[in-house]
Amino acid sequence: MALGELERAVMGQLWAAPGPLTVREVHDRLERELAYTTVMTVLGRLAKKGVVRQERDGKAYRYAAASTREQLTASLMLDALGDVGDDRTAALVAFVDRVGPEEAAALRAALQTGPAPAPAAEMPPMPQVPQPRVDGDERAADS
Amino acid sequence: MASVWLAVLALVLAGPVPSALARARWPARVPRAAIVLWQAVALAAVLAAVGSALAAPEELLRALGPQQRTGTPLLIAVAVAATIAGLIVLRLAVVLVLLGVRTRRRRARHRDMVDLLDRAERSATVGSPGARAVLRVLDGAVPFAYCVPGRAPRVVVTEAALDTLAPEELRAVLAHEQAHLDARHDLVRESFVALHQAFPVLVRSRQARDAVGLLLEMLADDAARARSSDTAMAGALEAFVVTGDTEVAARLERVRTLRCGDRRLATGVYLTAAAVVVVPTVAVVIPWLSAALPAAGLQ
Repeated sequence: MALGELERAVMGQLWAAPGPLTVREVHDRLERELAYTTVMTVLGRLAKKGVVRQERDGKAYRYAAASTREQLTASLMLDALGDVGDDRTAALVAFVDRVGPEEAAALRAALQTGPAPAPAAEMPPMPQVPQPRVDGDERAADS
Repeated sequence: MASVWLAVLALVLAGPVPSALARARWPARVPRAAIVLWQAVALAAVLAAVGSALAAPEELLRALGPQQRTGTPLLIAVAVAATIAGLIVLRLAVVLVLLGVRTRRRRARHRDMVDLLDRAERSATVGSPGARAVLRVLDGAVPFAYCVPGRAPRVVVTEAALDTLAPEELRAVLAHEQAHLDARHDLVRESFVALHQAFPVLVRSRQARDAVGLLLEMLADDAARARSSDTAMAGALEAFVVTGDTEVAARLERVRTLRCGDRRLATGVYLTAAAVVVVPTVAVVIPWLSAALPAAGLQ
C-alpha cells in the first residue's frame, strides 16, 4: 500500500478517536494486515510533519492529531487563497478562483472553533524564511 | 547619447507602457499574445536599464577628451558601470532564487496536507483530471477549485464544488486547472511576482503582475472552453463568482460574449513584442558599440 494512503488512514483513525492513542491502538483500529513497526514509522513521519502530537504516557507514547480535520482543512484553504500572513509567495502556491471576503472570514472562524489545541499546533507550521516586506496592501487591493 | 536613450526607454517601459497595457481592453481577446508582450516589455525594460548603466561612464569619458581617457578614470568608470548594472541583475537573481525556494517548499507542504485530507472515496468517483495531475477532494462548504503546480501536481476541489457543479461544468473546471499545470503558468506568474518583489516602487510592476495573472486565467478558460463548452465554462464561473469579485466577473463576461482567437490582432501583438526587444538593440546599442569600441582602442 502506498505510504500516502497509509498516512491518510492513520490520520483518519486519530481524528475519529476520542483521545490520544498508542501505536498498538492505532494498529488495531486499522483494519489491515500491517506490521506494528510500519504503523510506528508512519506515526513518526506524521509527527515530523507537525500534524500529529506525541505525548509521553508512562513508558509508552500516545499520539493525537495536532488539529481537528476542520481546522486543518480551513488553514489549508486559507493557505491556497494566499490569506495567511503578509507573505505574497502564498499566492504562488496555487492558482485559485478567489473566494469572497465572507467565505474567507468563515474559514478563519472555522480555524478558531472546536477543541482548541495548543496555539503552535493550530496552524501547521509553514516554513518561514525572513524576508523584507515589500507588499503592504496586497489583500486590501485584491479583494 | 546611447545611455540617455536607454534610460528614457527603461523609464517608459517601466511606467507609462505597463499603465496603458493594464488599462487596455484588447488583451482579453488575445491573452497568449498579450502575455508575451508583457514579458517582452519587462525584459526590454531590464535590458535598457542595465545597458544605460553600462554605457554612461564610457560616454562621459569620451566627451572629456583623449588625455583623461586612460588609466584611473577609465577603471573607476568601468567599475561604477559594472556595479550599477550588476546590482540590477543581482537583485533580480537573488529575489528569483529566494522566491523559488520558498514557493517550492510551501507547495510541498501544501501537497502533503492535501494528500492527508483527501476524501478518497469522493475523488475516486471523479477520477483523474489528466495524465499527470492527481485529484484531491477537500470537505468544505465553500465551492472552490485550485491546482498546486510542481513536479507532482495536484488539482484540488471542495466537496461543495462537486455538489454544486454539473458534470459538464466540473469537466470544464478540471480542464481549466489542467491547462494551468500543462502550460506551467506558474513559472510565468512567478517571474512577474519576482519582478515586483525586486522592484516594488517606481516601476509599474504591480500592474504587470496582476494583469498577467488575469490573462493566465483567461488562457486557462479558453483551454477549458475548447475541451468542454462555452456554456459549461460560464456555468462553472457562475458557481465561483461572488459579489464584489471583479476578476471572475470579468472572465464570466468574456466567456459569455467573446469568441476566442483573433489571428490578425495576435500576429500584430507578437510582432510588437519582438520589436520591443529587438529595435532598441539595433537602433541604440549597436551604434553605441561601434562608436565606443574603436574609441577604447578595441576593434
